[in-house]
Amino acid sequence: MQKYISQQNLTTLLDTLIKQGTRVVAPHMNAGVPLYEPIQSAADMATGQLPRRSAKEAFFPVCEDIMSYEKEGQRISLKDIDPARFPETVLVGVRPCDAAAIPVLDEVFSWDYKDEFFLERRKKTTIIGLACTAADDACFCTAVGLFPGETKGSDLFLTPLEDGGYACESYSDKGETLINGNKELFAEPTKTKALSLAEPQTEKIDLKKVKSWLDEHFEDPLWDGIATRCVGCGACAFVCPACHCFDIVDEGTEKAGKRRKSWDACGFWKFTHHASGHNPRDLQPKRYRNRIMHKFKYYDDKFGQTLCTGCGRCVRVCPVGIDIASIVEEISKK
Amino acid sequence: MTEPIDTSIYSAVTAAIQTEAQRILAAGLVTAIVGYAASRRNGSTQPIIVTDAAAAEKLIFTPASVNNLALYLTKAKKEIPKKGKIGIVVKGCDLKAIVGLMGEAQLKRNDLYLIGVPCAGVLASTVQPSTALTADTIASKCTECDARLPSDCDYVPNVQLPTQPQLAGKYAVEIARLEALTPAERWAYWKEQFAKCIKCYACRQVCPFCFCEQCLCDRNKPQMVDTTPRPAGNTAWHIVRAMHLAGRCAGCAECERVCPMDIPLNLLNRKMAKELKELYDYEAGFEVNDKGPLTTYTDKDDQSFIK
Amino acid sequence: MHPEKQTHDFEPKIIAFVCTWCTYAGADLAGTSRMQYPANVRVLKFPCTGRIDPVFILKAFQQGADGVLVSGCHPGDCHYIAGNFHARRRFAAFRKLLEFVGVDLNRLQFSWVSAAEGGKWVEVVTDLTEKVRAMGPMTEFKELAMEEQWSGAINTPELKEAYSQI
Repeated sequence: MQKYISQQNLTTLLDTLIKQGTRVVAPHMNAGVPLYEPIQSAADMATGQLPRRSAKEAFFPVCEDIMSYEKEGQRISLKDIDPARFPETVLVGVRPCDAAAIPVLDEVFSWDYKDEFFLERRKKTTIIGLACTAADDACFCTAVGLFPGETKGSDLFLTPLEDGGYACESYSDKGETLINGNKELFAEPTKTKALSLAEPQTEKIDLKKVKSWLDEHFEDPLWDGIATRCVGCGACAFVCPACHCFDIVDEGTEKAGKRRKSWDACGFWKFTHHASGHNPRDLQPKRYRNRIMHKFKYYDDKFGQTLCTGCGRCVRVCPVGIDIASIVEEISKK
Repeated sequence: MTEPIDTSIYSAVTAAIQTEAQRILAAGLVTAIVGYAASRRNGSTQPIIVTDAAAAEKLIFTPASVNNLALYLTKAKKEIPKKGKIGIVVKGCDLKAIVGLMGEAQLKRNDLYLIGVPCAGVLASTVQPSTALTADTIASKCTECDARLPSDCDYVPNVQLPTQPQLAGKYAVEIARLEALTPAERWAYWKEQFAKCIKCYACRQVCPFCFCEQCLCDRNKPQMVDTTPRPAGNTAWHIVRAMHLAGRCAGCAECERVCPMDIPLNLLNRKMAKELKELYDYEAGFEVNDKGPLTTYTDKDDQSFIK
Repeated sequence: MHPEKQTHDFEPKIIAFVCTWCTYAGADLAGTSRMQYPANVRVLKFPCTGRIDPVFILKAFQQGADGVLVSGCHPGDCHYIAGNFHARRRFAAFRKLLEFVGVDLNRLQFSWVSAAEGGKWVEVVTDLTEKVRAMGPMTEFKELAMEEQWSGAINTPELKEAYSQI
């Protein structure tokens, strides 16, 4: 379904949703940093910059409780988290690189085990994507087969027009429902020209070729060459829209506490550290190899998709300038 | 008003580093050189370890040469074989960290070949690497720099440091602003900042002084600090980090530079440095001291706060 | 006979980290001499003030302490010669850090109490307890413990309940 929505009506739509009690999550400035966060008013939305953390957070929180325990004498009681309490959410202003990662994550969270924390939030969230009109030289969505107008993952997709309004197209029942529930705010498509989309400066990379090289080169001098400099932090994985590893810890006292799930990263030395003290990935290049392997080989082997959408966040935040785009490009030329 | 900062010496510095690196590698004086090389993004650099004289031409120095490479000399970086003498490109601030590590018996001067860089300043982490260096885009640490010319290096390119415009010390101003607030206001400020933390530990991983093989904050027996990235655990982590660096931090501000959430971490370090200067007249510098301000004492130390 | 127990609206929790050689013995002396001091204080015994890691103080506040006392041997009296000298510097620095992040230093007291100073122990503990009582509960860390990143937050009655139990 193709529609038009003016800037004014988009504001009205979001404010109405907020008033109705829907949680609206949008890019928002928090202490100087753009982040996807719940907003109190449409005026708080700040779509100018790519949020520092990806939109995965709406389904896969930085940290969440998964259970609580209490001990009284000999009696231990456990309490589950009730997924029914996850709020209905509209996630708006999502960049194509962030939205495209969400269906990729669906695969792993609904594979042999159905992760209700992720899936329930997913079910309750409508994603409004926003075409991207500005890229920097870290962006490389075009290298991994996406583009700044990519609609994958969006229920509703907005393309900014020259008059300040948006061309609006729905790609799912959730999107249709949102339009149908607020019919008066949407008009028929106009002939106004769309703003020109961003132009990331990267060439498309042959990901099949990358994968076939990775199939054969678990051991290769390349890994030492690119990743000896890696410092072993989790910044790349944490800002990534597709990285989804998590850790589970119990926090509290003997008497009461919580079991919590929080983001984990393959760059950490503790990531595969065994209880025995042995670590199969004992050095940083082996850990970094896993990052590349998981994104461009293992995930493809299992789910037929690539675990990278080219948002460029890891390139921007890496303390030592490790650039996944140039690494994959290098591999593709081997 | 963005006053430009003259970095024209950096091309001469680059050429000098390359020539010297080639010479010492070819002569076998060092087994490897840690320096900066260009990377894909326009104007950006990344650390590189050069072991072959032919590859010395990759070494550069630009306003985007932000890293403190001293990190690669510590035992935390097991990936770098510490065989023979290692050459390293250092700015004044980086050298202070090396000096600190020598004081803590982590490094020996004889194992190092120091290539000092006369430094006119580097870029702030908040701007694109291709940005021109100005009074606005310069890293905060450079506004308070007292070590633009590293001392006691094995080699320093012979260039004349341009005079730098007078810059207002950004940390001093911000610390004074925070000190003037009430405790509740300061708590609110840090609460907002720490809430953004995602516990990626980039601040710890780039710190030359965080060389512990197992960080207290990674331990779960006992678990002194909650590991989850919630406001409570984040706050505890940042307090512990600042405390463990008090009297050791050399002021390279890498923690703050690498923070993906732009938490002003170096403010905590600068505050502690300021207090230790006032209390014990200690400052990180170019002189190797076996004891830091918190690993020594005098019987006359201030105890006005003790009943 | 015990004097009549006064009742208060708020009984602060005070955690005292003490060294075993001086202050613990001093507190013991206060007890054996039948001196009265507020029962608000929970004493934790350490070999030396030099063993008291600043993170213990942090943890105490996080676990619900309203005030913290650190006490050991007078300078020159350390059983390990210099433990308290090191501690003096460390805590001088740590309190500046806590102050900078917004902790009210009136909740944190340091003292030297020797094995012979039962009376001083009573005085220090009583003063701190009354001071903290007047300030009211330490809410900052407790509130922080309840806060979640927005993405993980769910408003449940159980969480509120957990808060009241800290």
